[in-house]
Amino acid sequence: MALFVELVLSGIMVGSIYALVALGWTLIYKCSGVLNLAMGELTLIGAYISLTYYHWGFPFPVALIAMLVTGFILGLVTERLVLRRMIGEPILAVIMITAGLSFFFRALVGFVWGTDTVVFTPPVFPREPVRFFEMVFAEIYLWSFVAAIAMLVILVWFFQRSRWGLSMQATADDEMAALSLGVSAKWVYALAWAIAFMAAGVGGTLLGNINGLNISVGYLGLLVLPAVVLGGLNSIPGAIVGGIIIGILQNLSDAYVGKLTGGGVKEIAPFVFMVIILLFRPYGLWGWVKIERV
Amino acid sequence: MYLPAGVYHETYAASHAWWQTNFVRAKMALLVVFVATLPLYTSLYVISVANITLYTILSALGVQLLIGYCGQITLGHAAFIAVGAYATAMGVLFWGLPYPVAMAVGCLLAGLWSALFGLPSARIKGFYMIMTTMAAQFITVDFIITKYVSRVGGREHYFSLPPGTITIGGWPVDGEVKVYYLASALTLLCLAGMANLLRTRVGRAWIAIRDNDIAAETMGVNVVYYKLLAFFAAGVLGGVAGAVWIPSLFFVSPEHFQLSWSLWLVGVVLIGGLGSLHGVVFGAIFVTVILELLKFAVIPLSGVYPALTERFLYVKEAAFGLAIVLFLLYEPRGLAYRWQQVKNYFNLWPFAY
Amino acid sequence: MKRLALALLALAVLLPPLPGAVGAQEVKLGSLNDLTGPTSDVGKDVALGIREAVQYVNDTGGINGKKIRLFLYDYGYRVPEAITTYKRFRDFDRVPAVLGWGTGDTEALSPTVAKDRMPYLSHSFSAKLTDPKTAPYNFVYGTDYSSNARAAMTAWFEEVWQKDPRFKAAREKGEKPRVVMFYAFPIPYATAPIKALKDHAALLGFEVGPDQDVSLVALDTKSQVLAAKAFKPHLAWHGNTTMSVAATIKDAHALELGADHIVNNWGYDENLVRLAGPAAEGVMGIAVTAFYGEKVPLMDKVLEYGKKINPGVPPEARMIRTVQSWVQVLMMAEAMKRADKAGKLNGPGIKEAFETFKGWTPGLGRPPITLTATDHRPGSVIPVYRIKGGKFELVKNVDLKERWPKQWDGEFFGY
Repeated sequence: MALFVELVLSGIMVGSIYALVALGWTLIYKCSGVLNLAMGELTLIGAYISLTYYHWGFPFPVALIAMLVTGFILGLVTERLVLRRMIGEPILAVIMITAGLSFFFRALVGFVWGTDTVVFTPPVFPREPVRFFEMVFAEIYLWSFVAAIAMLVILVWFFQRSRWGLSMQATADDEMAALSLGVSAKWVYALAWAIAFMAAGVGGTLLGNINGLNISVGYLGLLVLPAVVLGGLNSIPGAIVGGIIIGILQNLSDAYVGKLTGGGVKEIAPFVFMVIILLFRPYGLWGWVKIERV
Repeated sequence: MYLPAGVYHETYAASHAWWQTNFVRAKMALLVVFVATLPLYTSLYVISVANITLYTILSALGVQLLIGYCGQITLGHAAFIAVGAYATAMGVLFWGLPYPVAMAVGCLLAGLWSALFGLPSARIKGFYMIMTTMAAQFITVDFIITKYVSRVGGREHYFSLPPGTITIGGWPVDGEVKVYYLASALTLLCLAGMANLLRTRVGRAWIAIRDNDIAAETMGVNVVYYKLLAFFAAGVLGGVAGAVWIPSLFFVSPEHFQLSWSLWLVGVVLIGGLGSLHGVVFGAIFVTVILELLKFAVIPLSGVYPALTERFLYVKEAAFGLAIVLFLLYEPRGLAYRWQQVKNYFNLWPFAY
Repeated sequence: MKRLALALLALAVLLPPLPGAVGAQEVKLGSLNDLTGPTSDVGKDVALGIREAVQYVNDTGGINGKKIRLFLYDYGYRVPEAITTYKRFRDFDRVPAVLGWGTGDTEALSPTVAKDRMPYLSHSFSAKLTDPKTAPYNFVYGTDYSSNARAAMTAWFEEVWQKDPRFKAAREKGEKPRVVMFYAFPIPYATAPIKALKDHAALLGFEVGPDQDVSLVALDTKSQVLAAKAFKPHLAWHGNTTMSVAATIKDAHALELGADHIVNNWGYDENLVRLAGPAAEGVMGIAVTAFYGEKVPLMDKVLEYGKKINPGVPPEARMIRTVQSWVQVLMMAEAMKRADKAGKLNGPGIKEAFETFKGWTPGLGRPPITLTATDHRPGSVIPVYRIKGGKFELVKNVDLKERWPKQWDGEFFGY
């Protein structure tokens, strides 16, 4: 029983990181309709950038903020150079251009930083475990959870209260109407990408603190897709809940189903789950019931 | 269809023919001669590059069928190539089947497996189809093949195919040149078969579904049936690709058929141009040749910047990603479109259109 | 000029497929390495070592006067690249022998190299490569993974379980020691010794818990450690390379798994101490040669060439892997010299030369190597080490042949 609770709790904590990345994905989709296959690579880039800043000697909070700024700029640049011209193109072209970007980013990261695992030295969070009744947690998990929730709260506040956030919501809802009210769609798209870069970067940095960073973090991006399918493509709270559920699911399936199949379930369990969801409830928990049925 | 002046048909059969002028027939004959005599005057290196190109063409053919002609977006084609390859390898190694029979079995299995994952297409489309095919990729290759099928026969077997294992009726397929002959024969056959298939009722149904499936349904096209048929045909083509690839390998492993290969194939189809068989060939040649040229370009540079050769695998991937992005930005209709434009220029000269 | 070379190459294709008809003053050697893939944490140091060792051989007379020309390619631990690279070695570079790397591709290429008669000396020590009946052209320069695993388990059993006061109460109760294995299920290198290890566990009277799947590039192994914790193991075996072993050991420390650790040789090096920090204290493992900088014969040359050829890499960053590469290259050079003396510097000649090795050692802490035509296992003495205070100290040398002579020639052989 203690095992189950430990798995669920650590799943929630890892899932909060997935939720951050899923949030970025949903944001891009909601605002500009782009299905982004390069999410994992955005996570990777953000994580390696903050690692580089940290290794250059900046204290961790400064490195984090520097990463946020860099991610913001990268998001703007990517959107301007690549995505701007794809507005209105068929869905496959848009998806493939993000796939091409993902190849490019991943190769770039491998080229510049290599494939070895790198750790944040000196460690940002202490290594000793934290006790909670009978269960043991690494302190980093708790901090990532707190950080992820904080970021989520900030983002949700941004969307609900700030002017730019409201403009983005308006564009996501009905682009024509928003344009006619003076909202600049170009800036909204650019902002969506910038925020996605930032959110993914924070997620990647937190992941990197857990045990180290290497290029396999990029495959995280594919895990985001089951999370958003589960939560509903256009729903921000859906993305958050979806990410957390996927985190829990991974841990549980690895521990329980893994015994039957001899391991290896951790990576594909979210996808199998996704297929099941697609067959019975394709619009997820919170998505708009608007998908085209054949 | 542009017919030059002076060419006119007197029978229905002539006007329905696939190759309608002597010029086209001569071109096709020349192509066959070129392909057949290539090994006689080029080096082994060129032949090995040609083998990779032929394999890419065969693999991308199934993807083109699904995406370009039937409108079903698929990101999991490598899984079906894997099914074909493994089934053929198992047939030859474990069940003692002759290679052509094993290939047929492999194609059938791949087609059926593909149709199985095509079933959801009856209800969903677009993004969700992408997700399903991606899931098919992971489940087939990363789970079933990696964990179960590749363990068949224990670790001793490893699906090793030392040269000489694969024979077609006593003629061993070992060495690049023999693989080239096998691959080019099958590629030409598949291309011809696809082209003809697209001229029949089945092909027209697929194109109708691609353009507007609801309208096709109202016109009496059984959409579900033809979609499944498209998945089946794509699976069979994938099976051929897998079966043709394995004589060129010394052993089969699931690593040959990862998600990156599926994405690569979609990239090839996009670079070549959706909805065109020429596009498959152009895209495959372009991608393969560019990567080989990259290798030659990097070698002199690596004296100055040694990391280039060390991390060459990354340079390759980055170049491919960049190629896709640039093509989609600047030539969204692909190389086949460019080819059409060039042909039109000559056909219509001195007029502009 | 290029066309002439290509035409000559085409002509060369028609010659009989005996690898490595050699040209006047040089001997070619192919080497497959992983500089960018999942095992690159150990692979990069290996590649540096190979280049240095080849330079050393060339500087000290080469192969009876002929210089070695090294073709070193990175294949990223990817199977398709392994196949392409091997083809390149065989058809374009025309090497007489290859230095191999990964277990998966080496085992899978084994029937092919046997057919091509290409001697293949690999960094992979899979036991399957040591039986000439199934792998006649495969050679290894260190004791195989299965023997290493058995030796590590034996050393822990004898030195820790039976002597350490921690386990006195358990021993008196008649408890059996419990072991859990952490390794990457899909990777052949990691699964190579598992069956032998489980058999040995049964032989020594262990209880074996559920295996845990840890990917070679795993960063987070907490769920695997938690699942193992439920079994309350006394001992944990790690079969991966350093990166993931370090991650697992750190997680085991953080989650208080409470087990001792024994590690396979490719997971046990100076980098493990760096990555795992204080969690690495007391971890036991296998090393097939001396560690970098230890006072053993020829180590001074290793240090000298390291500084000379790769000055950009600081000596603190070098690892035992460099020393292993030196042993590999020196062994290949010795075989080539013997083959050349016998007038047969080609594939089959080098194979026969390997099989004349009797008690040969290049120094560098490598116990003597003896190979015969029926047994390609280099020896039966395996040193087991422990990390104390961030440094490696020898626990004991386990001689499997002495301990279990019947099984050594019988069931321990070749799996």
